[in-house]
Amino acid sequence: MPLLQIDDVVAGYGIGPDILTGLSLAVEADRSYCIIGPNGAGKSTLLKTICGLVRARRGGVVFDGKPLNGLRTDEILRRGICYVPQDRSLFPDMTVRENLRMGGYILRDRHAVEKRIDEVMEMFPILKERRAQLAKTLSGGQQQMLLLGRALVLKPRIIMLDEPSLGLAPMVSHQIFESMNALKKAGITIIVVEQNARIGLNFADWGCVLDLGKMVFEGPSQTVLDDPRIEELYLGRRRRRTGTGG
Amino acid sequence: MTHNIQILILGLTLGGVYALMASGLTLIFGVMGIVNLAHAAFMIIAAFIAYFAFQILDLDPILSIVITMPVMFLVGIVVYRLLFARSVADPHTRGVLVLVTFALALTVEGTLGFLFSNIYRSTNPSYASKAILFGPYYLPEGQFYATLMSIALLVGLWAFLQYTRTGYAIRATMHNRTAAEVVGVNVDRISMLVFGIGMALAGASGSMLTFLFSFYPSKHWEFVAILLSLVVLGGMGSLLGALIGALLLSVIAAFVSAEFGPTWSPVTFYLALFVILLVRPQGLLGKRPEL
Amino acid sequence: MATSDTTIRAPAPSTTGKRTLMAALVVAALAFPLLQLAFGGLNYWLHMLLFIFMNIAIASNWNIIGGYAGYISLGHNVFFAIGGYAGAILFAYFGVSPFVAFPLCGLIAMAFGFLIGLITLRARGPTFIISTIALVLLTKILLDNWDYVGGTNGISLPLLELPVDLVKLPFYYLMLLLAVGAVYLSFRIRRSKFGLGLRAISQDETKAEVAGVPTRLYKTLAFALSGLFIGMAGALWGYYLTYLSPAIFLTILVGAKFVLMTILGGRGTVSGPVIGATIFIVANEFFVTQFGATALNIVATGLLLVLVLVFFPEGIVGTLKKSGRLPKMLDWD
Repeated sequence: MPLLQIDDVVAGYGIGPDILTGLSLAVEADRSYCIIGPNGAGKSTLLKTICGLVRARRGGVVFDGKPLNGLRTDEILRRGICYVPQDRSLFPDMTVRENLRMGGYILRDRHAVEKRIDEVMEMFPILKERRAQLAKTLSGGQQQMLLLGRALVLKPRIIMLDEPSLGLAPMVSHQIFESMNALKKAGITIIVVEQNARIGLNFADWGCVLDLGKMVFEGPSQTVLDDPRIEELYLGRRRRRTGTGG
Repeated sequence: MTHNIQILILGLTLGGVYALMASGLTLIFGVMGIVNLAHAAFMIIAAFIAYFAFQILDLDPILSIVITMPVMFLVGIVVYRLLFARSVADPHTRGVLVLVTFALALTVEGTLGFLFSNIYRSTNPSYASKAILFGPYYLPEGQFYATLMSIALLVGLWAFLQYTRTGYAIRATMHNRTAAEVVGVNVDRISMLVFGIGMALAGASGSMLTFLFSFYPSKHWEFVAILLSLVVLGGMGSLLGALIGALLLSVIAAFVSAEFGPTWSPVTFYLALFVILLVRPQGLLGKRPEL
Repeated sequence: MATSDTTIRAPAPSTTGKRTLMAALVVAALAFPLLQLAFGGLNYWLHMLLFIFMNIAIASNWNIIGGYAGYISLGHNVFFAIGGYAGAILFAYFGVSPFVAFPLCGLIAMAFGFLIGLITLRARGPTFIISTIALVLLTKILLDNWDYVGGTNGISLPLLELPVDLVKLPFYYLMLLLAVGAVYLSFRIRRSKFGLGLRAISQDETKAEVAGVPTRLYKTLAFALSGLFIGMAGALWGYYLTYLSPAIFLTILVGAKFVLMTILGGRGTVSGPVIGATIFIVANEFFVTQFGATALNIVATGLLLVLVLVFFPEGIVGTLKKSGRLPKMLDWD
């Protein structure tokens, strides 16, 4: 049985139009996923719907056999799904350590949280080095690492990252994805949304192509990378047709 | 010189009270992004409660805080649930929400005016007409107690925000609402709580203003403009800013009042607002760039 | 220029209908006082109508800054007061009748608006709103203490020397003129590049700026223009009442009503303020005759505003337009 089952979900923001128009996806525990697709396809909306920031209008999300519909974000977090949003959602005026501490906000046991923070800082030496620095003074890559670290404090089953490479230099993105490999090895299921389809598909086991709110193609990421249609539409290698202009 | 220090003392102590009044306002803005134009109207509600407690039960206005704070806290929760709960998350509706608080202020003012008419009221506990003397300086006793109480409440607020788990969550929400949501803070509940706390602080302020000023239903506009001026000076969303703004402007207003008469004291705040807008619209410690 | 083989199309029926309606309304309004001349005794109705016309002008004018540009001014009655006092000063001290001076009073209000706007429009959203409240309170204190205009006692103006049956007529026609003028201004702005820029500002000011809209200039101009007809109305109204005082013109309630009328009708549209003003004045009049102009009036204003904001913030015209059910007659955009 898949760890996370998304069943024909329809969702949108507020009273606006449907962004997800009947999306289904089965997420297996032992795979990592990369979701690609054009702008407006619903990639971020999908992640937000899973973690409860957006309410599904139809269809459901089932995690570990139990439905997530209608649960609040903090409840979903408690069950083990962690979401790292797109726009560097750090607490800018808090230190690195305080940011990590906020990662463990829902846990009542302060000692457990502090221990866990120490473990995370071992995993990411950069964070340990800068633990007393204000988050807003970190570089883009360091901030992304902090976000990863913060997500790890709760030892989640699933981590969902929305465009982790956004705004980062290629070398820095590679470092981030290297860190994510470590998480993969630790058994965490990772779902990554990426505009940089190449780096995302090189990282993940499974690629999913989203368009107009639906899943249009999915398969092993190498297959997705190699597929000529996908290549043309989403990876940017356009094969120009000759003929009358227009 | 003595004269000036005297004025300084009066300004600072009044500033402490204004800081308390403004703290609820800026807290609500920091967490919810709403300017609550009805803040002072709720202060007047509390003032009426304290007034009648004094008239009927002989309850000292400062002690009445024990009543006004919880009552206004509950009022805040109810108002939040009725009017703001669903719309706070969406930045587009926030502009409308400011108008809603405006309409709320009018409704409160009208209701109070209808029930109690527009006559000037105040309480006069024994300390309202006495002064404490120290050296060549005096301090009206009422103002002294009010300032002490304000400081106590502000320190309590600060400690709450700094050292409790909920306070932590509130500060996180003020910093970055989305981030707070994502780490599991129930931002809706936090917003509701903060609104209640803001109202409770208004409640305490209302109790104390009964012996510091004379009040009547329409006076809240004057208070609101003053409080908003000093919050804008200090920077919207910053508690420290509100304190600095309150002290600074109150001292200036005290000097203006001494020189030109008390009518011109509120003018100081209004003019200060325009000056700040000219010079530095985001205030001294402002956090929100869009102001 | 049409070429010889172009099919000449008659204007679409809706446009003809609209124009007929408007022409009919204006003609009716012009003709109504003739009934007064013929039969007399219609002073109450003349009063109501000219009051409605005035508020149509006020609401349409406020709409420029509050509706098109999206900057809510809660203290817009400052312009009303400036115009009123300008007119009173010109009349009481220089003998110039407000019937002649009112355009100048409007321009004076507009000039103040420009200067004030240069300062207050440096803030956005909530801070701007706060500054408009501070403005009213500040102006009230200033006028309360300015002996030249009588301070809190205000100024009395001499009554217009006309028989009772005729005395309201000049005010009637002038207010009608203001209403038509203000609506026309609103209409022209909406269709202009200026209006487009304002609406861009109200949607997303940063993006508008980036797109090349001169936001500072447009905003300040809008704020100034939004005081023009209100100032003129103030000058005429002061004369109509034969008495001005800060307490009459500069309470927050007055400014709140400006806002309520426009939002009720539909801010950002041309016909919205007209409909909102008409409905509001009628409702207000009904309320006042039933319950008096007391604190309850304040409660009612507040409650009505809450209801409108919570349930149909687009106003009557806006809501109907969105659901496609606005009669073409009323769509003047």
